[in-house]
Amino acid sequence: MADFIETAASKDSGPPPKYLAAWRAAGIESWRRRSLPTRKTEAWKYTNLRPLEKAAYAARPEADGIDEESLRPLIDIPGLGANRLVFVNGTYSDTLSDYDCADGMTVVRFADANGKDAETIAAHIGRLIDGERHLFAALNDGWTEDGVFVRIEDHAIVTTPLHVVWLTTNASHPFGVAQRLLLLAGKDCEASLIEHFVSTEDAQQVFTNGITELHVSANANLKHCRLHLEQPSAAHIGGVHVSLDRDSRLNSFHLGFGGVLKRIDAVVHHRGEGAHCEMNGIYLPRDSQQIDYHTTIEHAVPRCTTSETFRGIIADRGKAVFNGRIHIHPDAQKTDARLSNRNLLTSPDAEVDTKPELEIYADDVQCAHGATVAQLEDDSLFYFMSRGISREEAKVMLSFGFINELVDRVPVPALAEYLRPRLVARFSDPGLSRHIL
Amino acid sequence: MSEQIDNLIQKEYAAGFVTEIESDTLPPGLDEDVIRFISGRKNEPEWMLAWRLEAYRAWLKMVEPKWAHVSYPDIDFNAISYFSAPKSAADRPKSLDEIDPELKETYDKLGIPLHEQEMLAGVAVDAVFDSVSVATTFREKLKEAGVIFCSISEAIQEHPDLVRKYLGSVVPRKDNYYAALNSAVFSDGSFVYIPKGVSCPMELSTYFRINEAKTGQFERTLIVADEGSQVSYLEGCTAPMRDENQLHAAVVELVALDNATIKYSTVQNWYPGDAEGRGGIYNFVTKRGVAHTNAHISWTQVETGSAITMKYPSCILRGDNSVGEFYSVALSNNRQQADTGTKMVHLGKNTRSTIISKGISAGHGSNTYRGLVRMNPGATGARNYTQCDSLLIGDKCGAHTFPYIESKNPTAVVEHEATTSKVSDEQLFLCQQRGIDAEKAVSMIVNGFCKEVFRELPMEFAVEAGKLLEVSLEGSVG
Repeated sequence: MADFIETAASKDSGPPPKYLAAWRAAGIESWRRRSLPTRKTEAWKYTNLRPLEKAAYAARPEADGIDEESLRPLIDIPGLGANRLVFVNGTYSDTLSDYDCADGMTVVRFADANGKDAETIAAHIGRLIDGERHLFAALNDGWTEDGVFVRIEDHAIVTTPLHVVWLTTNASHPFGVAQRLLLLAGKDCEASLIEHFVSTEDAQQVFTNGITELHVSANANLKHCRLHLEQPSAAHIGGVHVSLDRDSRLNSFHLGFGGVLKRIDAVVHHRGEGAHCEMNGIYLPRDSQQIDYHTTIEHAVPRCTTSETFRGIIADRGKAVFNGRIHIHPDAQKTDARLSNRNLLTSPDAEVDTKPELEIYADDVQCAHGATVAQLEDDSLFYFMSRGISREEAKVMLSFGFINELVDRVPVPALAEYLRPRLVARFSDPGLSRHIL
Repeated sequence: MSEQIDNLIQKEYAAGFVTEIESDTLPPGLDEDVIRFISGRKNEPEWMLAWRLEAYRAWLKMVEPKWAHVSYPDIDFNAISYFSAPKSAADRPKSLDEIDPELKETYDKLGIPLHEQEMLAGVAVDAVFDSVSVATTFREKLKEAGVIFCSISEAIQEHPDLVRKYLGSVVPRKDNYYAALNSAVFSDGSFVYIPKGVSCPMELSTYFRINEAKTGQFERTLIVADEGSQVSYLEGCTAPMRDENQLHAAVVELVALDNATIKYSTVQNWYPGDAEGRGGIYNFVTKRGVAHTNAHISWTQVETGSAITMKYPSCILRGDNSVGEFYSVALSNNRQQADTGTKMVHLGKNTRSTIISKGISAGHGSNTYRGLVRMNPGATGARNYTQCDSLLIGDKCGAHTFPYIESKNPTAVVEHEATTSKVSDEQLFLCQQRGIDAEKAVSMIVNGFCKEVFRELPMEFAVEAGKLLEVSLEGSVG
């Protein structure tokens, strides 16, 4: 494991955009100075990095020889009508992407950026990340060769969601991909962003290291969805870092299927008074998959609100980790922050480790968190069975019902429609799902 | 109103005074010779010395825990004196009349005269003044019931089999840094054995008092409740005002065999340091109980003292149907820091646990609840309910909640809830408008906030606990 730092540091990542070269070198430097977390490291207490150890992650495979057209069904979300950017194994795919810059939204790839855009990227990249807490962000810096830069003009109302897909395929050797996205939302604007991680159905040898930074200006309204629908053999360590200015709103939704190693850090900084953050999430590990969500909400200024709900269904030998931290700084009076985490264990071998944390340094605040772990209630099952619904069907319905409340809150309706059948299918054979949908 | 508040906040520690009794104290420092000296002084058998030495050697290899949400200057373990006994140690008093008059006065100042207690509540007191037991009452009465209640040094002499069997069985010597240190140098403490089927005829109580400056107190308490027995044990502490930090690293082990019940209550009011955070006790205690089949262990604590507290009274619910409870009120005012909570480890089937934790932070205090609820694969049908509430008084204090929930059994149900609130202006206004002054109102609100925990305390303790909170908090709303 000790070698992983060096192996990862010396991965051949291709040339960086010129304006990011120094920054990228600094990232690698910083990464080299670190040591990998162990079970004694609080933030990694329940998640083992051993799956990374198995492979020496090499450069991403060339795009040649991949039939891109055949990948279309994996990335299409009907009814979304989105601006779509697709990266296949980390390489931008012209064939699959389809976007235009309209409605006051500008989308530029890091590799193409020049002039003012390049300056803006260089000025903002990495600014929201606390490197001490987020070790893998340094590696992401060091691996970045391309990425997506999104700028939304002040007062712009962007009706079409931006759909960014990171797709991976099977390759002959294990490889690493750095995913990077930087979004600047101007004042009073409105926009939706969907980050979609998916893979082909064959075994994956990829380790995706993702960082997304969202700067939301005053009074702006950003909807953000992040979907992790990759094959379980794909490893992913990612972070979403958000700053919210005065009276801005973030409505975010996370969905994660399990994998060999999946860890997502979602960090929200309330930086202006009156900002509101709603964050909902679902995690569904099964077989011997694992998933780990760490969320941090930093309330640094007064009068901000947070409402966070995460639910998980853990099946088979699956393991879920949830850590929800709410940090109220000394001046953040009149904060209202709530966190709820509920878990269903559906098998004797399933495991969940949850830790909702409150750290409060201001007195005039309302904070609450709750966490539960249980299985489906016998009473509920009985209720269904007494009405002639089989135990199996009842289980599917109840499991789906448990998370459907959150699917209902997905800020992009077309996406909710797309996800529902996929979620039901997680719990049952296709025959049963017709009862529910 | 703010003047009143200031006056109340700045109230001097009422139990702060020093009794001048000559002590027989070791020079500061710790090595194997010190351990041999302690062991020799107590005429301990060879196995006990070996046990201590092994703990010491393990301790040398361990590192101080730093994960707690507290900060304090590094402790120099070689600046602490590891043994201190009142001069009259060799010639122990047999009855209350024989104890040192000055010592008796100490208790009188604290409002816990032994005479009165004897009559008042039928409480047997094994009073620890610094490190050696000086007065043990009601011995005879307990003997009749077959209950053994004596100092641990005495138990090592007189009941070596019991001690050998259970000492370190709940908190192993290498369990943690401070438990290892305690195992090596523990000076004294209490030993209780309740035989099969016996319900202890009275509540057992020990008053600890740290007196000698620069003396770490390393009590060791072992309570064994044999099958079907019952016992309630009270522990209360106050300490004199001193500038030097004093380390207190006790270990308490509870063994509840099949169908036994142990109730352990603590009121802790050690010197918390002055308003700037100078002085005060470091309270790093390991408390743990093992509950066998159908056994019941209940921890109740009211923590108002100490500069730094790291304390996690825990239950290992080993037997089927065993029950663990934890009721806690922790108060931190001025610069006090408390990182406290519990661990409930569910191993057996249908085990149940309840955690009720009330944290109150005022001034610059920092109060952390840190708890672990673990459902092991065997804990079929187990149940946990956790509630931790924080009350904030003043805008410079902190209240934190770090609950760890680990579940590996789908039939186990774990519920955790936490809330944070302040004494609101509306609540105060409502009371004041009805003619209740602000201090009284705050006291009422705080008492109401803690009611679920106070209810679990024995009567006299509940009164004492209420008073303690009143003294520390009344009117400190800003």
